[in-house]
Amino acid sequence: MSSSPLPGDASNDPTTDQTGRFVRQPNGRVRPLSPHLQIWRFHTTMWGSILNRFAAGALSVGSLFIGGWLAAAAFGPDAYAGYAAVMGSPLGLLIWFGITCAAAYHLTAGVRHLVWDAGAGLTPKAADALTVVSFIAALVISVGFWIVLFASGKVVL
Amino acid sequence: MSKSARFIRNVKVSERHGAGEWTAERLSALVLVPLALWGLWSAWSLSGAGYDGALDWFRSPVNSSLLAVTLLISVWHMNMGLKVIVDDYIHKPSSRTALLGLIGALCLLLAAAGVFFIVRLALGSAPLPAGLGA
Repeated sequence: MSSSPLPGDASNDPTTDQTGRFVRQPNGRVRPLSPHLQIWRFHTTMWGSILNRFAAGALSVGSLFIGGWLAAAAFGPDAYAGYAAVMGSPLGLLIWFGITCAAAYHLTAGVRHLVWDAGAGLTPKAADALTVVSFIAALVISVGFWIVLFASGKVVL
Repeated sequence: MSKSARFIRNVKVSERHGAGEWTAERLSALVLVPLALWGLWSAWSLSGAGYDGALDWFRSPVNSSLLAVTLLISVWHMNMGLKVIVDDYIHKPSSRTALLGLIGALCLLLAAAGVFFIVRLALGSAPLPAGLGA
């Protein structure tokens, strides 16, 4: 995997190429290798995509905490009080806040993808605008939710 | 691939199961949009409500059935998403198969245990493990 400029005699013919820019796919077809990470200039939709996958991974871990809450409820008042104490500690609240952020962004980014899948908003300008909207909406949902939680006194530090 | 490509309205039909997976990902995402908003509302109702508040919440059939549906569709969606991530980054076939098997087993466990807990809470069963034999 080379990030240096291509040598002058680099061939675009896959059969004579020596630079490793082509890959043989499992079905036998030869296809050009996509440029690696350091070739790309970071742009809005790229951040949107990376953060969406990151949020998906975070939510997968977060689902274990939801499962833990279900288990605590099913195991009775003592287990529930213990779980609530751990998850109501500053670290626990940070975990819940992280889950809220990941869920909010995965939701708004998912809606953005559904818009794209419907064939709308696919020009670079519209795609960037949709991505910025999904960032802001996720921030408003997650931060707003926690401001209201603290303001109502339902959650205290 | 010697099989000739099939087309419907000038769009190539996927050779294997790619199109079905694509549709399933979108369909589950679409259903999860309202369920996620309902989940946010539920988190609001449950936070600070304590054990008794949680029990009351689970006694409502609407809440417990919606939660079970949300859990099952989420885990299905999560399994498909994690499979895509593993397919993208893990190239050694044996490692990929092993990891996908592990993820699938964990997803099944999460779904089964989750539904088990939800059903018990919805029916008002005695706290575990005491009620297991009853």
